[in-house]
Amino acid sequence: MKRHLNLTVNSEPRQILVEPYYSLLDMLRDELHLTGTKKGCDEGDCGACTVLLNGVPVTSCLVLAHSAHDAEVTTVEGLATREGLHPVQQAFAEYGGLQCGFCTPGLIMSAVGLLEKNFDPTEEEVRYAIGGNLCRCTGYTKVVQAIMAAAEQARP
Amino acid sequence: MTTEHNVLGRSLPRVDALDKVTGRATYAADVYLPDMLMCKVLTSPRSHARIVSMDTSKAEQVPGVRAVITGNDFPDRYFGSGAVRDRRIMARDEVFYIGEPVAAVAADDEVTAQEALELVEVEYEDLETIVDPLEAIREGSTLVHPDMPNFEGYGFAMGGNNCTLLDADRGDVDQAFRDANQVFEETYHSQAINQGFLEPMACAANVEANGRLTVWASTQGPYQVRAQLASVLDIPLSSIKVNAMELGGGFGAKLRLAFEAFPALLAMKTGRPVKLINTREEVFTLNGPRLATTIHLKTGVTSDGQITAREAHSVFDVGAYLGAGPNAGVGHALGAYDIPNFRLRSYGVYTNKIYVGSYRASGVADMHFAVESHMDSIAHQIGLDPLEFRLKNVVKEGDANVSGASVPANGLLETIEAVKEKMSLPRKSEEGRGIGISLGEWRSGSGPSTASISVNEDGTVSLLTGSVDISGSDTSLAQIAAETLGVELDQVIVAKRDTDMAPFTGPSGGSRIVYSQGKAVQMAAEDARDRLVGLAAERFGVPSEALSCEGGRVYVQDNPPQSLTLSQLAAASLTSRSGPIIGMAALSSMPYAPVFNTQAAEVIVDKATGQVRVTRFVQAQDVGVAINPMGVEGQLEGGAVQGIGRALSEEMQIDPETGRVRNPSLSTYLMPLAIDMPAIENILVGVPSADGPFGARAVAEPPGFGPPAAIANAIYDAVGIRIKELPLSADRVLAALQGQDGDEYHIDVEALKKAETG
Repeated sequence: MKRHLNLTVNSEPRQILVEPYYSLLDMLRDELHLTGTKKGCDEGDCGACTVLLNGVPVTSCLVLAHSAHDAEVTTVEGLATREGLHPVQQAFAEYGGLQCGFCTPGLIMSAVGLLEKNFDPTEEEVRYAIGGNLCRCTGYTKVVQAIMAAAEQARP
Repeated sequence: MTTEHNVLGRSLPRVDALDKVTGRATYAADVYLPDMLMCKVLTSPRSHARIVSMDTSKAEQVPGVRAVITGNDFPDRYFGSGAVRDRRIMARDEVFYIGEPVAAVAADDEVTAQEALELVEVEYEDLETIVDPLEAIREGSTLVHPDMPNFEGYGFAMGGNNCTLLDADRGDVDQAFRDANQVFEETYHSQAINQGFLEPMACAANVEANGRLTVWASTQGPYQVRAQLASVLDIPLSSIKVNAMELGGGFGAKLRLAFEAFPALLAMKTGRPVKLINTREEVFTLNGPRLATTIHLKTGVTSDGQITAREAHSVFDVGAYLGAGPNAGVGHALGAYDIPNFRLRSYGVYTNKIYVGSYRASGVADMHFAVESHMDSIAHQIGLDPLEFRLKNVVKEGDANVSGASVPANGLLETIEAVKEKMSLPRKSEEGRGIGISLGEWRSGSGPSTASISVNEDGTVSLLTGSVDISGSDTSLAQIAAETLGVELDQVIVAKRDTDMAPFTGPSGGSRIVYSQGKAVQMAAEDARDRLVGLAAERFGVPSEALSCEGGRVYVQDNPPQSLTLSQLAAASLTSRSGPIIGMAALSSMPYAPVFNTQAAEVIVDKATGQVRVTRFVQAQDVGVAINPMGVEGQLEGGAVQGIGRALSEEMQIDPETGRVRNPSLSTYLMPLAIDMPAIENILVGVPSADGPFGARAVAEPPGFGPPAAIANAIYDAVGIRIKELPLSADRVLAALQGQDGDEYHIDVEALKKAETG
């Protein structure tokens, strides 16, 4: 039976009725229609469903929706502001860090999570931070370049 | 007119970048409609069996279940994804592999649908099963489809389980082998692999008030889906509209009808929209992957390293159905070389396992692994440097290709030189490290292509084509249109299309979009430009030749201030004699334009574990003209990494007894991760094609060809062992280092020759 869940999604407080077995991913997609977060495997292997849970990147398919009670969730839809794109989004576009786009929201969220705690990552640190995000189109070269460029821009 | 390009050749961001980085791009699974039902599919747990009985009554009684369908609910029809109509969309009275669909349910939600599936009762009676293709091709083997000779579209093949046979011959091969100083024979084997697209296939279907069927599909070929769907449902093609949604990777897997018929029929039954989203497990078990290929090569060489003859016999496992046309590998058995005498045979063989599908130049990548490893092996055996041996034999302008066509000007030699210089070849690496190279060849894809371009009253242009963007092709097409019409890229609007609105085009596959569809866009843009210029000429009272269309305006060459903007012209056109400005073009095929590349891998082999690590990967490709260099590099990098995955870690493990896929998940099917890969280094060589838009050639297929051979050759260079089976996994390399002979695949060539001559 559906139960009430309180949480903040993209800075907006929400109260939602959700089945107890729903994953955070299914809740975001099916209940809130935030379809930017993708389901590539539903098994925690591909990283396409990565969101920030209290600032930390998680694969939302492995998180039960109700375990995010009172938590703060940021999805790809929550990154851009009225002023424009997040620097990571901007860099992915400029440096060709995306092709089919299906893994892109997850990659971007992993990169945002990295840059929130490390302004000056090495290439190796970037590759580890996206080590849980499969991408079949790009071969990662331009994804890594984009994240390095975003880091440079975001540095204070 | 200046010859300097304004938009063409610039690394501009993709036209869909904003949609994709913000998560707004809409894929088929993102379609939510009111009252939408969810569909789940029941599949066969048996390799080969007769369906004795089916009972869906218990499933139908589950609260929330709205409809259950079985094979009997579909018209009694066969269809084919390849040449042969050998397949039903859903099993009727017999199943031919584990995973074959036998029933589908539409319910209020996925959980209910899944629950209902478990209540469908199916009684099977097992039949004889054959899983090994090398056994299946033998005379007297158990037959997968005894009625194969009656299948529509079945042509010349050997019969038995051999459903297709491709051949190519030239010269006197037997005499050439007798005349050769040395003859080399080797057998190579490549594994079954999954395309690995990130977006699991999905589809939604709905019956509109007027009775027409709308389908939201994850496809590379909306018109192909429409035609095949009409065929299996036995309804008019014109009663179906296919919306090609944003495509989350396809690589050939989404070229044809998959299971769109299930939600479609369920929508027709229930009158409600129905959506089906594959699980990752179903990506591996419901949809055709590439299956294993075994290739026997025989090559005659003179004492100075000239190849005189080649014979190739390749056996392609096609699984239960010929899901992907005839095996494309046959012509590529020559590689990028000029070989005067050859006999090439390529056999498609039925077995009881999931049917074969397409993947980034189906069969060609397998053939390149064999040919380029074989070339390296011969070079070492005759004491020539591998690069030198290749250079002695490479195909040159004016040589005849495998089908006899003259090879036009191309950049093959430049790609070899570029890689040689960047990798400082030849050089000897230290022990445990090695470098290997591989040459590749492909042809720019052809096929029906159309485009229409309207010039809007504000001076922007709307581009309409039926082709699905799978590789950034929309951006390239928009750049071609912008360049031709002399406007900026952001002045081009690329319409989202469906099969009602856009004109017919071939599927997005075989690296054909930029070369063929791009040509249609260029021609349509020229048509629109001619109309703009014609209108301006009328207004200025000067001949059209005196005008140029550039910088968003048409002006008099001798007096540039005398000009009209595109906006003014488009507005004026509405009341002009010839009406609004629209440019159109259509073509059915494009001339032969080869694409060549050279790839080199540098590896470290850990002798204690057999682990191979690629430390550098350099590639050069003749792209003709790079419409968008960043996009081209992205294709090359992605292709190379797919090839590295195929080389080192990817393998669909298929049970040798039952044909079941043993590793249907991304934690057991190992695709490359960022931490495993080097940064890929690219060199773009540009020898323009004669007919491509602005001289462009195809790009996407070739980068995937070379990595397996380049890495196998690098392993030989590093530790002196020749591995002839993929993947080059740590256990296989370690076994080879310990002296175990890996040759486990044998093709009985003599028996095949005997069968052919009768």
